[in-house]
Amino acid sequence: MARASIVGAGMTKFGVHERPLPDLFADAAFDAFDDAGVESPEIEALYFGNAMGGMTENDTHLAPTLASHIGCTGVPAQRFEDACATSATAFKHAVEAVESGRHDVVLAGGVERCTPETGLGTGAMTKVFVSAAHRQYEQPAGLTFPGVFALLTKRHMHEYGTTEEHLAEVAVKNHYNGTLNPRAHFGRETSVEKVLDSPIVADPFHLMDCCPFSDGASAVVVASEEAAESFENPVDVAGVGHATDVVPLADKVDLPATQAARDAASQAYDQAGTTADAIDFAEIHDCFTGAEVMATEALGLFEDGGGGPAAAAGRTALDGDVPVNPSGGLKAKGHPLGATGTAQLVELTEQLRGEAGERQLDDPERAVAHNLGGDAATTVVTVMEARR
Amino acid sequence: MSDDATTDRLDYVEWADRLRDGDLVGQECAECGHTTAAPKAACARCGSRTLATVTLPTDGIVHSETTVAVPPEGFAGEYQVAVVRLGDAKVLGRIDGTVDIGDRVSFADVLVTDDHPAPVFEPV
Ligand SMILES: [Zn+2]
Repeated sequence: MARASIVGAGMTKFGVHERPLPDLFADAAFDAFDDAGVESPEIEALYFGNAMGGMTENDTHLAPTLASHIGCTGVPAQRFEDACATSATAFKHAVEAVESGRHDVVLAGGVERCTPETGLGTGAMTKVFVSAAHRQYEQPAGLTFPGVFALLTKRHMHEYGTTEEHLAEVAVKNHYNGTLNPRAHFGRETSVEKVLDSPIVADPFHLMDCCPFSDGASAVVVASEEAAESFENPVDVAGVGHATDVVPLADKVDLPATQAARDAASQAYDQAGTTADAIDFAEIHDCFTGAEVMATEALGLFEDGGGGPAAAAGRTALDGDVPVNPSGGLKAKGHPLGATGTAQLVELTEQLRGEAGERQLDDPERAVAHNLGGDAATTVVTVMEARR
Repeated sequence: MSDDATTDRLDYVEWADRLRDGDLVGQECAECGHTTAAPKAACARCGSRTLATVTLPTDGIVHSETTVAVPPEGFAGEYQVAVVRLGDAKVLGRIDGTVDIGDRVSFADVLVTDDHPAPVFEPV
């Protein structure tokens, strides 16, 4: 039995957008409405994500603003903020709302602008992003977000022998997948040599190990399992796990374990009555290449320490046994923070329907999305299944 | 209504004052024994509010490290940060010098940015 169904999915191209947040979000929302075959008045509630708009654009209280902008005035509308996991947590609440019978059809989605279109340069945006690290115990040392994931990844390399080449292979794969995705921020291939030759941001991460600053929006129409019967092309949400871990990161028991991902995955698999072995492909939060390696292990796709060698062996490529990030991932598709979680679900929906174009996988039945926030202290894991 | 000083629990203001004075302190949980260098209102492992203030060892081992080459606004240059294990606690600090995982370091100085202090360690 499904917890809910996605009956419509939409997103903008990720990249650089002049358009302000309401217009960007409307593009994704109407794309999802048209895909579902619904009009604005049929949407009973809005579960909306934006992480940093207060700091980047002096724009808050966005939920009713956006509901008004897309013709959903008056419905309960709420904004979620959980750093980069913002729209996955919004989606979780949408699932619970239709599962409980409170609503039948709702919209979940997110929007963010992170490129210099906001008026902020690299130093200013680096400061905005590090607001998700502990204000008192981490920011004063000059930590950055690449630095957070570098600390986790360096420990992984120390414990398991993961190499910079393994990490670079993740970037190469995701860039290739991005060339097949017309909505990806980057549409060009790269090589291990080019990744390793790019400037260091926070070692072991070179510039090409890091996802870009992107603008964009994504949205999904979520219906109860029963209401989904009247839609043309529903894809079922079999499980949604959500867990947190201690902040600051120095207090985590095991840095490279990313424990919240393990806890969220076990919840999601249990709800779906499935296991990691039955997952056909994954969309993973590869904000940095090391994050993808650690997540493939936390999700149980590979044993601990096996994530780097698996990527290097091509096992996570489109034609591998466990494709990871067929969309290009955050690395190539882009990472507009508040839009990333539901954009992963757009990819799951399209792949499970067989509508993913050039990057379509071979008849997948079950997939997992992994969206993390902050220093991996928030993680939401969603299992979706094709309706046959 | 309560003022700020309802308990003798180590809070951030006192932790920061003592760190600025060169004294690195933390909390030890009376229930589960968890020791942290980042004081909280309750134990992050077990939820107990019975937390004793403890002086942390000043010598430790580098647990993980990175060199930040692209700093946020308000910071300059390349610099190394590390998670340092001090006895049973781990703390994030700045490194004066260059270290690798497993190296021994010692609490040497305090970096203050926007009035917020961070411990600085150097290799021994
Ligand atoms: Zn405790």
